[in-house]
Amino acid sequence: MELGRRIASRLTEATFERVAAVGLANAERNQRVIRHSILELAEASLGEGNSAVVVAAGPSLHRRRSLERLKASAFTGTIVAVDGALGACLRHGVTPHVVVTVDPHAERIVRWFGDPMLVAPPRDDYFRRQEMDPAHAHDEIMANRVLIELVDRCGPGMKVAIATSAAPAVVDRCEKAGMTLYWWNPMYDDYDRPGSLSRRLHAMNGLPCLNGGGNVGTAAWVVTHAVLGKTRVGLLGMDFGYVPGTPYARTQYYPELRELLGDGFAEAFIHVENPFVSETWLTDPAYYWFRDVFLEMAGAAGCETFNCTEGGILFGANVPMAALETFVAGGGRP
Amino acid sequence: MTEFLKGNYELTVKIEEPADEAETSATEEFEKKALSRLCASNCVVRKKVFLRNAATPEK
Repeated sequence: MELGRRIASRLTEATFERVAAVGLANAERNQRVIRHSILELAEASLGEGNSAVVVAAGPSLHRRRSLERLKASAFTGTIVAVDGALGACLRHGVTPHVVVTVDPHAERIVRWFGDPMLVAPPRDDYFRRQEMDPAHAHDEIMANRVLIELVDRCGPGMKVAIATSAAPAVVDRCEKAGMTLYWWNPMYDDYDRPGSLSRRLHAMNGLPCLNGGGNVGTAAWVVTHAVLGKTRVGLLGMDFGYVPGTPYARTQYYPELRELLGDGFAEAFIHVENPFVSETWLTDPAYYWFRDVFLEMAGAAGCETFNCTEGGILFGANVPMAALETFVAGGGRP
Repeated sequence: MTEFLKGNYELTVKIEEPADEAETSATEEFEKKALSRLCASNCVVRKKVFLRNAATPEK
């Protein structure tokens, strides 16, 4: 087994150890502000028909001008965005019906909503290094200021599908921007096992547990079909990988892989040929794992999923690739 | 065997030294720490279920 795939196979346990304690601590803190269950979203008026587009924050979103094209397509279905894609959506005049957030990180995630506490570039170079929203890489402070204004202006028209694991700073920011919060529990373990942590959490706050598949993009897709009941789902910006030629140092988990593997870190990266765009994409063990999990889940989903990303590594029998315009026109089946 | 404990005679048998457990443990600890940073934003439950809402009794 390649090194990258070997590391990927160890991530389930590592993730549980990292997110369970902080996620549960946040769930306890958030309990006093929970007013709506995510299940109430199923009754809300969120676009027309049974089609939805899930907007993730991969590099193809900008590279393929997906948001400009979505806007031009006059798509009338539901638009669900991950937190990391919110800024790009609003800058392109696309106001998502629902924004999904799940990561419990105490400082980073609030930046996707505009962080009022940010006055100087932080030591953490996550936003300068990452590929998800290039606006933050150029001038963090200015990008943050613009985002605060946009979110404050559009907030009252948006709903947030927020996990109980979310950091208090994210909750506070969303509430102050006038967004309505709809809550869910991330599934931490097998709900049916004796002593299940997920089931104990459900008993504590009465909220449904949702299998988020390890990342906010997959969680947004699950919300879209399992909660909103959409039966045709198109994916945008769901790359799970890096544009060909991306330097290793600009990949999301570079510092961790460097620390783990030293000078041999490059061996952990995996190359995947995307036949739709005839390009070889680069991916890391974590993203490769997300891809595997997504493809497995797609086989059991009660919806048709079309990947309109036009890049990345997510494709398979249950996730055909299609151009965005083809999906919007009702096509896309191979 | 360390230089400090070496005697002034030759052994006729080859002694297999146990692996340095302390060193292995430190490596494992490092890998665990690094892996914990290389992980997801929410847990992965490899079960084909998307949403659970009812409190089912323990099996």
